[in-house]
Amino acid sequence: MDGSCDGGDGVVDAEWSCYRDDDIIQQQNAIQAEEALKIPFVGDKESLSALAAEYKTGSSILKAKIEVLDELYVAIRRTRGDGNCFFRSFMFSYLEHILETQDEAEVEHVLKNIEQCKKALLDLGYAEFTFEDFFSIFIELLESVIPGRDSSISIDTLIERSRDPLVSNYVVMFFRFVTSGEIRRRTDFFGPFIMGVSNGTVDQFCKTSVEPMGEESDHVHITALSDALGVPIRVVYLDRSSCDVGKTEVNHHDFIPSNCLLKEAGSETIEPSVVLLYRPGHYDILYPRLRSETPSL
Amino acid sequence: MMQASRARLFKEYKEVQRDKSGDSDIKLSCDDTNIFKWTALIKGPSETPYQEGVFLLAMTVPEQYPLVPPQVRFVTKIFHPNVHFKTGEICLDILKTAWSPAWTLQSVCRAIIALMAHPEPDSPLNCDCGNLLRSGDDRGYQSMARMYTRLAATANKGNH
Repeated sequence: MDGSCDGGDGVVDAEWSCYRDDDIIQQQNAIQAEEALKIPFVGDKESLSALAAEYKTGSSILKAKIEVLDELYVAIRRTRGDGNCFFRSFMFSYLEHILETQDEAEVEHVLKNIEQCKKALLDLGYAEFTFEDFFSIFIELLESVIPGRDSSISIDTLIERSRDPLVSNYVVMFFRFVTSGEIRRRTDFFGPFIMGVSNGTVDQFCKTSVEPMGEESDHVHITALSDALGVPIRVVYLDRSSCDVGKTEVNHHDFIPSNCLLKEAGSETIEPSVVLLYRPGHYDILYPRLRSETPSL
Repeated sequence: MMQASRARLFKEYKEVQRDKSGDSDIKLSCDDTNIFKWTALIKGPSETPYQEGVFLLAMTVPEQYPLVPPQVRFVTKIFHPNVHFKTGEICLDILKTAWSPAWTLQSVCRAIIALMAHPEPDSPLNCDCGNLLRSGDDRGYQSMARMYTRLAATANKGNH
């Protein structure tokens, strides 16, 4: 940690010296509140043509890629670009999947992994009272999407809860704790990757780039979260990279944890149920077409 | 929102009561009637110009706590590059952008004690103090800081 703000240095305009950090934070909050009006934490499901519309006058590579995406995916659900979009997208996509499949075995599996995450944090020296509230809010939400329980909820309620600042932010923070715990627990594995993206230690990386709200997620975060919970994640990349020959392809990367349930069941090809669309700096949720659905032309 | 922060603060309160003998450099107390208002008395770290001083911090906890940091400022006057000389505002990353709920009021106090021992003159809130350190006048800094510690933070002349 360090002191890292600039207060009225002699070089800076006198006018600026009147601004205190609190004022700056207040202004940032105001900007965030304004952004919040534009898009909720988790948006509505939109057809893929909404994505195409964004790039009408855009690069031809992107337009071609969106056409490819249209063959594979039927819809998109946007999340707010507040630095928490990966965690927020993951939250909704995963819970919606559980709600639709009613996969109780999966829930059991994840609950077991969450118990491990809790142990890991305690072993790392985290005080239980600092993280338990975040854990219980997620567990409550997870259990509510399973049927036959008194508290089971509909998709509309899931959307509502995902837009509720308390629930939504607490779940994001739950994922941040889980991610940080996993990275710290496996310092030897993650250390070299972290050295490549920051110049600090694993500890510093977790303190400054994982645990604080609003810090963006990258490959390291996704790997850690997917491994810790045992949930596979597919990230589809929509960027301007292109191959020189042949037809346009859209790259994707699958994050497959070694302990995921599908692997245990001996499934050879794993199709992650959580599919996210990555555009540089932002993650949204993608909905794969069912095999029976033919693409609209 | 408010319920969540209240519940968390109550846990911290219980932890402070339980651990009273734990950290003799920090004495955290909560306002009798308002769990969102806390004060802390912290001992100046040894081998610094703040040693032998006792400093009062005022902590205001926002309703969104612990998703957002507490507001902390020095009530006791202190000459330190990262503390505003007039307002007592503290420039510390964990109180701003690097905050996370993994921190507690107690560990924030520990971080502030660490900041007292390791000033960051390159991001000053007190420019006069920062300039002394940046120009290498360690003796000037030490004597000014010690003087204010004696004037404001020791028992007989203290303001608390």
